[in-house]
Amino acid sequence: MELVGDTISNGSSSADPPVPAKSTLNIVKQRFKKDEDILYIFESYQLKGPEYVTHLLVLVSSESGGTYAIVSFSCQRTPLSSVNELVIGKVFAIDEQFKLRQDDTSSIAAQQFDLFSGEEGPIKYYYYPSETAKFEEFYATVVNCQALMTAIHLDTVLNFRWLNDYRQIGEVKQELKKRESEYMIYQDTKIYCATWNVNNKQCLNGSHSLRTWLSRSEQPPDIYAIGIQELYVPAKSMLSSTDAAADAQWINNMINSMYPGVEYSILKSYRMMAVFLIVIVRKPLKQQILNVRCNYVTRGIFNALGNKGGVAISLQLNEGNICFVNSHLAAHSGQKAARNQDYQGIVGGMSFEDGRTINDHDHIFWLGDLNYRLKEREPQPGPLDDPQLLLIDDELREEMNNNQCFIGYSEGDIKFQPTYKFEPNTDNYDMRRLPSYCDRILWKGTRIELLEYNSIMEIRQSDHKPVYGVFHVKIKTRDHAKYKRVQEEVLKAVDKRENDNQPQIEVDKTIIDFGRVRFNEPSSSYFNVYNTCPLQVDFSFKEKDIDSICEPYLQIDPREGSLLIDSARSIWLKMHADVRSISGLLRKIRTNDNFDILILHVKNGRDIFITVTGDYQPSCFGLSMETMCRTDRALSDYSQSQIKELMNNNSPHYRVTMPREFFLLIDYLYKQGALQQGAFPSYESRNQLKADFNAVRDWLDTWSQDPFPASVETAAQALLLLLDLPEQALLEPFVENLLNSASKQEAMNYIDLLSPPNRNVFMHLCMFLRVGIESGYYDMHQVAVTFGRILLRSSECSALPNYHSKCCAFMKMFIESDEELMGNGNDSGAGSGTRSTGLHA
Amino acid sequence: MAKKTYDLLFKLLLIGDSGVGKTCILFRFSDDAFTSTFISTIGIDFKIKTVELQGKKIKLQIWDTAGQERFHTITTSYYRGAMGIMLVYDITNEKSFENIVKWLRNIDEHANEDVEKMILGNKCDMTDKRVVNKERGEAIAREHGIRFMETSAKSNTNIEEAFCELAQAILDKTSGRESAENQERVIIDRRNNDKAPGYNKCCA
Repeated sequence: MELVGDTISNGSSSADPPVPAKSTLNIVKQRFKKDEDILYIFESYQLKGPEYVTHLLVLVSSESGGTYAIVSFSCQRTPLSSVNELVIGKVFAIDEQFKLRQDDTSSIAAQQFDLFSGEEGPIKYYYYPSETAKFEEFYATVVNCQALMTAIHLDTVLNFRWLNDYRQIGEVKQELKKRESEYMIYQDTKIYCATWNVNNKQCLNGSHSLRTWLSRSEQPPDIYAIGIQELYVPAKSMLSSTDAAADAQWINNMINSMYPGVEYSILKSYRMMAVFLIVIVRKPLKQQILNVRCNYVTRGIFNALGNKGGVAISLQLNEGNICFVNSHLAAHSGQKAARNQDYQGIVGGMSFEDGRTINDHDHIFWLGDLNYRLKEREPQPGPLDDPQLLLIDDELREEMNNNQCFIGYSEGDIKFQPTYKFEPNTDNYDMRRLPSYCDRILWKGTRIELLEYNSIMEIRQSDHKPVYGVFHVKIKTRDHAKYKRVQEEVLKAVDKRENDNQPQIEVDKTIIDFGRVRFNEPSSSYFNVYNTCPLQVDFSFKEKDIDSICEPYLQIDPREGSLLIDSARSIWLKMHADVRSISGLLRKIRTNDNFDILILHVKNGRDIFITVTGDYQPSCFGLSMETMCRTDRALSDYSQSQIKELMNNNSPHYRVTMPREFFLLIDYLYKQGALQQGAFPSYESRNQLKADFNAVRDWLDTWSQDPFPASVETAAQALLLLLDLPEQALLEPFVENLLNSASKQEAMNYIDLLSPPNRNVFMHLCMFLRVGIESGYYDMHQVAVTFGRILLRSSECSALPNYHSKCCAFMKMFIESDEELMGNGNDSGAGSGTRSTGLHA
Repeated sequence: MAKKTYDLLFKLLLIGDSGVGKTCILFRFSDDAFTSTFISTIGIDFKIKTVELQGKKIKLQIWDTAGQERFHTITTSYYRGAMGIMLVYDITNEKSFENIVKWLRNIDEHANEDVEKMILGNKCDMTDKRVVNKERGEAIAREHGIRFMETSAKSNTNIEEAFCELAQAILDKTSGRESAENQERVIIDRRNNDKAPGYNKCCA
């Protein structure tokens, strides 16, 4: 092929050497087999999300297939540095359906086109404006190839089997195929082909009657392929039978007439009407044969009657594919065009179960009554015993020379007389017909050597003489030891390639330390990820629990992304232990030494664990009353590990009766008198922290002697949060019992069962609120709603009917003034014992 | 493009204490190489290696886990889906051997019920530093009815053998299941299925 692409010619002829282009060609070449030529390499790209991915479109021709295709490889960068960077994408056979369609709607910036073929597409590709000239060249080259295909092959099946190496089978098989020469050896095989038009005559009597025809070779054949035409067909089956039930007597006679002293076995016999083909092999050879398949093509009247046509048997002997065709082509002088058409019809129409066509075989033997005649001429042709002279007028040779039929086939020297037409039972020509070489044996393929080719004059019952040909064929066979070694190497290399091509990223640290972390103070940190492999890499943080990639006090940005080759980016982490997440952080601290472990997942690759740590500065917010009652100093004097220890302490001994922080807030609020009017926010707005909140936090956490640093409202809010933020509601584990208690007395039974710190806090709080309500500072209903929801917070109970009103009613029982309680006739003495304001136990 | 280059895909997992040599074992098996510098695995790595067993190409996808204590909880989420687990201890480290029981409990809690297990006593080349003798390894394996081998990634002892034996055990199990399905409820060779998996005694 003279079509040479720009990339290729540059390398050898241009003055300024585009070295990268040349090496690109050399690298791409490594992906193809020896008999495949690269005609053009066009660099295009596809869009994958926001990224561009380079695609090398390689126009390639196959010598064995005689066809063209475009193979699309994706690669992450050009110029290529190694063949491993090429990943096969789509394969477009340049077949009847193939189209390279330029998209006219494209904008000026992005040039684009579609590719599609019978099996793929349409697939969109783009090219850079700078490549426009090359694209036009590429386009012209492709169109040229397509034109060549349609011109040569009219109704033949185009052979694209070679492409299967690039699309259907895996990498291992591809590699093995490429290294075939390292483990293939050739097995010498004798193939005996024979053909005879028997003119509807019965088989000769005598079991060895065909020996003169079938036992001519010097050495015993390994395979016989015997074709018969005009085999007697009983009239009643004329229009229906295509089955393989050949005359048993013929087969028996054949078997008995094979090379003597060798055991043969029938591999397959197949019959279409009067055209019969049988393949017989040496018995031990049978186990080396696989995939025996057969089919037929009818020709003749309406191409359907089956009095003409062909049958074929395909088989695989070790690693070689062999096809035998027996055909009976159109008869009569002057009908060479019909014979050519019959040939085209058979070659184009014959395909086997696996999709293989006749041309998809390594070794093809075509025999039969091809019916080509000698040309009529004046004076009459020369002496009938001089084949050389006669063959000058042979139609078949002429048509083959003109590429009208049997393209690529060979035939041996003919040293015998024309095989048609004889007066039966004589050696005399029936001179009503011009004697002709009707019966022939042709072959196509590699490593075939003809040993003998002759006709048998002594067999006289038909008007044709039988013909035979003996071939020496070298059949591809695997050397098992060598194959195993190569296979092992290939597996290793393929594994290595896969391991090496695994997407990889590196991170600059796997421990993110936030340093000092405080309640209600956000902080942030970051780490960097680098792409360290020759591929684009996608990463994401993996979900650990349902819907969460990290703990609620953390935020990650970005949560997923892509990294181009040699690129890096920062991933930001924000830590914020606020009112919503502080209990989660404290739970984590209680059970772990770190704040979280994130899973950074590389798509198709490894996972990296990112440990998030820091030094949490303990605060009273979020701690249980029990924990706070165990402290012996201000919380700011505790370390994270000390508070962890305290949180895990389950002893029933407490240092104080109620937390000092709680007491201080109540005390402060109490002392404000009328200033506390309406100080408690609604339940819904309790989490909207005031700007001076952190000052209160520090005042409480340091046991400060300074005056209270913030407003009354902030103090009230801090009190609510102190009660609301611990993981468990103050009145747990009796929330459900309390909600269902019918009377204050019944509820008190449960209150008495609370841990001392919780009980004391509850009673003290109720007393404080009652005084506030009595003094007219608070609206009882609003306070009952807010505190009821906080103290009786429960995810299970919130689903109960009337949960909210029950919470409110419960609180009211405890904060209503004693007078009202008296009025209702309830006992009010129960809580009186806890009125002590003394802190120490 | 999913191109199948193998007949079967087995997912294997390497677990065990930090520093017992899980990564080295994997590196020896996949790349036939060894490096003595210790780099702690911070996460989950994997390598693939195709082996041929009984004429079948088996692609092993081997997951190497972080051994550090703080990652124990998170790594258990990777147990599910593993068809085979290599449980590795270091014959020069008593604690890593004692922890085998803990790892076995982890497997019971988090892995598939029919996961194939194998215990490896690694670093068997370091004879002068050995503190866990082979009999103890064999005993614990026998006690739990699982396979055992002593290995050395450094001297390339039993590495390939261990993986092939584990893969073989999984193959036996899967092919046993296939033929059971094919036979449609006909009880086949119960003896084979009920037999406790043998432990292996070989270490060069």
